Amino acid sequence: MGSTLRALRALVLLAGFYLLGVLLLAALAGADYLLFAHGPAGVATKLTAVSIVLAIPLARGLLMLRTPKPEEPPGLSVTEVDEPELWRTVRELADQVGTRAPSRIVLTGDVNAAVSEDARLLGLLPGPRRLCLGVPLMQGLTEAQLRAVLAHELGHYAGSDTRLAALTLRGRTQLLRTIRNFEERAGSVEGRERARQERKNAKAEGRGKKGREIDTYGVGVTYRTLARIYTAYAELYLRTTLADSRRQEYAADASAARIAGRDATASALREIPVLTGAFGFYARSYAALGADAGLLPPHGEVFGGFGRMLTARQLELAGLRSELPTEPTSPYDSHPAVADRVRRIELLPADGRADEAHGAAIAVLADEERTFAALEDTVLTEEVRQSRRTSDWQELLDGAMAGNLAALNTPLHRALALYTKDRPTLPALLTLIDNGQLWQLARRLPLSDEAVAAKGRAFREFVRPTLHNSLHSMVMAEFSARSRMRWEFSWEQPAKARLLPAPGSTPDDGAPGLDAAIAIAVDTALADPPDTAPLRALLPPAPRDPASRETDAPR
Amino acid sequence: MTVLLWILGILAVPTLLVVLWLGGVFVKEFAAQMKGTGGGEDGGGAEAAEQLGLLPADRQNTEYAGPLPAGWEAAFAAVRGGDWRAGAGLLDGIGRNWDLRSMAVAHLAGFAAEEDDWLIAWEADGPDDPDAAVVRASSTVMLAGQLRGAQWAKHTTREQFDGFHRMLRRSRDEIARAAALNPGDPTPYISEITVATGLSYPHSEMDKLWAQITARAPHHYEAHWRALQYWCKKWCGSERLAAEFAERAAASAPLGSLLTVLPLIAHFEHDESDDNAADRAPEMIARVNAGLADAAAADPAHPRLPELRHLLAYYLSLQDRDEAAIEQFKLVDGYVNALPWRYHGKGMTARYCRIRNLSAQAVVSAGAE
Repeated sequence: MGSTLRALRALVLLAGFYLLGVLLLAALAGADYLLFAHGPAGVATKLTAVSIVLAIPLARGLLMLRTPKPEEPPGLSVTEVDEPELWRTVRELADQVGTRAPSRIVLTGDVNAAVSEDARLLGLLPGPRRLCLGVPLMQGLTEAQLRAVLAHELGHYAGSDTRLAALTLRGRTQLLRTIRNFEERAGSVEGRERARQERKNAKAEGRGKKGREIDTYGVGVTYRTLARIYTAYAELYLRTTLADSRRQEYAADASAARIAGRDATASALREIPVLTGAFGFYARSYAALGADAGLLPPHGEVFGGFGRMLTARQLELAGLRSELPTEPTSPYDSHPAVADRVRRIELLPADGRADEAHGAAIAVLADEERTFAALEDTVLTEEVRQSRRTSDWQELLDGAMAGNLAALNTPLHRALALYTKDRPTLPALLTLIDNGQLWQLARRLPLSDEAVAAKGRAFREFVRPTLHNSLHSMVMAEFSARSRMRWEFSWEQPAKARLLPAPGSTPDDGAPGLDAAIAIAVDTALADPPDTAPLRALLPPAPRDPASRETDAPR
Repeated sequence: MTVLLWILGILAVPTLLVVLWLGGVFVKEFAAQMKGTGGGEDGGGAEAAEQLGLLPADRQNTEYAGPLPAGWEAAFAAVRGGDWRAGAGLLDGIGRNWDLRSMAVAHLAGFAAEEDDWLIAWEADGPDDPDAAVVRASSTVMLAGQLRGAQWAKHTTREQFDGFHRMLRRSRDEIARAAALNPGDPTPYISEITVATGLSYPHSEMDKLWAQITARAPHHYEAHWRALQYWCKKWCGSERLAAEFAERAAASAPLGSLLTVLPLIAHFEHDESDDNAADRAPEMIARVNAGLADAAAADPAHPRLPELRHLLAYYLSLQDRDEAAIEQFKLVDGYVNALPWRYHGKGMTARYCRIRNLSAQAVVSAGAE
């Protein structure tokens, strides 16, 4: 198929998308006409009302396609004055690829690089181009790898072949955006309905009534139906243009390999899934560590820490890098499987450029520390930025863990509150165990069907693991509340809790021994027959200050 | 008015007819159903069994495979009432009869797996009592089985498996303690076979464990029974390994040791056929004959003799040797908790009666001719 034909086909498919909307509207209108002409008036009026409800999102679909809202990801727009080196690199690469350089560069806070274009007139006319470049991506790649990624993205716009195919690419982008808008609309309608019902329930519960199950089924169904019709069309569209778009990916890979070197391109492709996983882990386990406690790392460290973690976990990451993602590719995915792409690139003849530009890509930035800080201010929401900044990561860890332990809410806490109708505290629990009421309490834990059916010893063994874990956590919380616990921060490993010996005893009085002793004492407290004395002996003594005793006393 | 009544009357006639006809059909169906259940689905097998002096289904004991030795029933009742001394006295009286001891321990451990306050009292009275220790170890193994449940792996939850493995691992220390307290006793090691099965010991470890047992009791019935389970395909072995183990043990055991039961069990555990062809093969007939000779030579008071007889009766019946089958059925009738019925759970009595009644009917009708 010649390039003209392909362009024509892309146009027809894009036009078909419009046609689909017009046809659906016409079908609805026709049905209404027939109803009024031949059916009873009452039924016709009702059904017409339904058809109008259906027509609204349809008409919106058409309008949405006409004016797709350019959605700008939150990021830091940088000018040539801010980042001369980065701009020089991008321009140079665009030159080599043979395409227009983007007019804006936006630094974002994710592992991503994308060139996008705010095209005009249904995507037929080119518009200003924007390069979005994730700072975490730059932290993880070498300079050569970054050049490969950029060359690949720019390569999509290069050459006569891709210029013609850009229409397809644009059509697809807009089609997918339309469907996504539909789904989001359905989701937000559902979300609004859910919020409304939840408020209603909250009110009902306030009056001591049991709230109704929240049901959002049906709401948003019209949108979803429409989205499904469009999805079906998108499938047709993608299937038709699939071979092209995959070939484009290979072509972009090939041009990236030519410009940035074979090895850099292949290794960048291997690196990106690893970085995506690592950044997700970092965001959960480090950057957002203090989220519940309302704490933030020092200014600039939200992104800065990622680089530190990558350095510290080199070995772990090297293992992940050697294995390529193997999950099967969707038949509608415009990208071929990463493994396949890497294999193709690695089959290219060696170009002797393996040792080029090994420095970190982040060094391209004029002042990375400043960028981290500025990016934080753009990417984080106002609400998050209100959180208190800690002076270092250690303080963040201590604060977050102390906060988590203070707000501890294990299944045992809930069972105890249910059983005693009082605030669940460790002293209350130990007293209850001494009174021989542990197993009546255990019946209030969330239980599996098998545990509910079990009796005697079998029941006790079913619930013992839960009891042990919960009681152990409560003991740890007690140590934390009495300032007898320190956390060890590490970029390499999960944070470890260290129990401090009782004040007055010799320092470092066998802290690991204390851990083991607590585990044994918890077991003894839950044994048949139970004995809480060893656990009580290990617990930090309650302070004499009556004000802080209040935390223990049942209210 | 009269016209209206006439019309209504005429319309009522066919309606009434239809209603009557429908009612008739219902009554007929109902009567047929009642007759069907009353007549018995095995076509008179139950009457034939009654004629031969066999007990009806509702008088079969589903707790044991055969009558308990004298005095055990009372001791068990006392133990369940909390009197551990009855259990201690029972084990003391049995002494070094390992077959009886492992059986009594298994029963006591079963009670302790449900509720163990009496056992805790026993342990408090004699902290180093080897009998209490072996009951403790064995009860933990049984508790593991209760946590797991008797379903296939795919119907067993993560929580059940975790509990099963946790209890089995805990039991290993208790088994070691019980073995140390009574060095000549094979019973703790016999419990460990179940641990080996549940935790999938490697074959080399199982062989080491087996050496410990055979050094203490070379032809112990329960030990062989449990080990055969380990070697079965469904646990840690294969059909070939199970068959080899069973045949070797049966061949080397003296007559009357009841180990001829093993080849029958090995066949039973791996038989997935829907017909009786494999059960009537010449080697199965030979195995049953060997079992008959073994049972005849055994001590009639051997506590495991009924278990062999149940399997013999089953296979004799499948082999159409109904006279001989009924002879075995008569010797065990009244108790059904044994292979091959036990795997049917609550349906074990029905399964037992069905096979038994088929043979009974064949015998009765042969006598009538």
